[in-house]
Amino acid sequence: MFLVFALITLLGALAMFRQRNVVVAGLCMVLTFFGVAGLFVLLANPVAAALQIIVYSGAIMVLVLFVIMLLNSHEEEPAQSGRLVQAWGGALLAAVLGVGAVKLVLQSRTLHELGASPVPAPITLNKLGVQIFSEHLVAFEVVGLLLLAAMIAAVSIAKRKL
Amino acid sequence: MTPVQAILSGGLQGYILVALLLFVIGLATVLLRRTLLMQFMGVELMLNAANLALLAFGRFRGGEVQATAFYLFIIGVAACEAAVGLALVVVLHRLRESTDADRADLLKQ
Repeated sequence: MFLVFALITLLGALAMFRQRNVVVAGLCMVLTFFGVAGLFVLLANPVAAALQIIVYSGAIMVLVLFVIMLLNSHEEEPAQSGRLVQAWGGALLAAVLGVGAVKLVLQSRTLHELGASPVPAPITLNKLGVQIFSEHLVAFEVVGLLLLAAMIAAVSIAKRKL
Repeated sequence: MTPVQAILSGGLQGYILVALLLFVIGLATVLLRRTLLMQFMGVELMLNAANLALLAFGRFRGGEVQATAFYLFIIGVAACEAAVGLALVVVLHRLRESTDADRADLLKQ
């Protein structure tokens, strides 16, 4: 099962990267988010999987797709200038990071030792609620305030006349 | 168990590897694509990679609830970032008739 969801995630992300049409790229992104949600289920964490599907595949991607269709710019515009150095530099950096990451994961002893731990009991909404409201109450309230501030900011930025 | 076997059977190494590759793909999207909306989706991809690594470590350190609580806060911040970022893209499109990041170079001139 792990391989299936890992492949869904990575192939969805690669398809998004390669895709010229922004709407199709958004749909590939939804596929990636579902793959990540599947990986969360395999990590004994159904709460995070549900949140992932509701917030990312639901809310954020609907927002992105609405903006894409609102702006009516579905294809990438032709480049103004070549900027070859930046393009090859970016590709090289990503490739070096990717190879380095694979090497690091394969060699790491700490990951190997941690990986031997037994499967824990799944995270339930009950445990999460107790944790949030007993230890992270201030952070929870701050996040609520931050969401309100972001909503007001988004409206005031995007509106022509307040 | 060798690392390759651990990755194929869904050990910690496998999750970390997927998270790192997801991050690299997101980074490549931000660096190599010029459409602002694509770059935005690349940023979301990188955030997801970080979340995946966080929850993988939470699971393999004995099923910490703390990791899931942090995940909740992280997606709250990500939702804020999405709302404000997309509002900025809409305004930029209204001003310049374009969503190309290279064309938003007023500060450089």
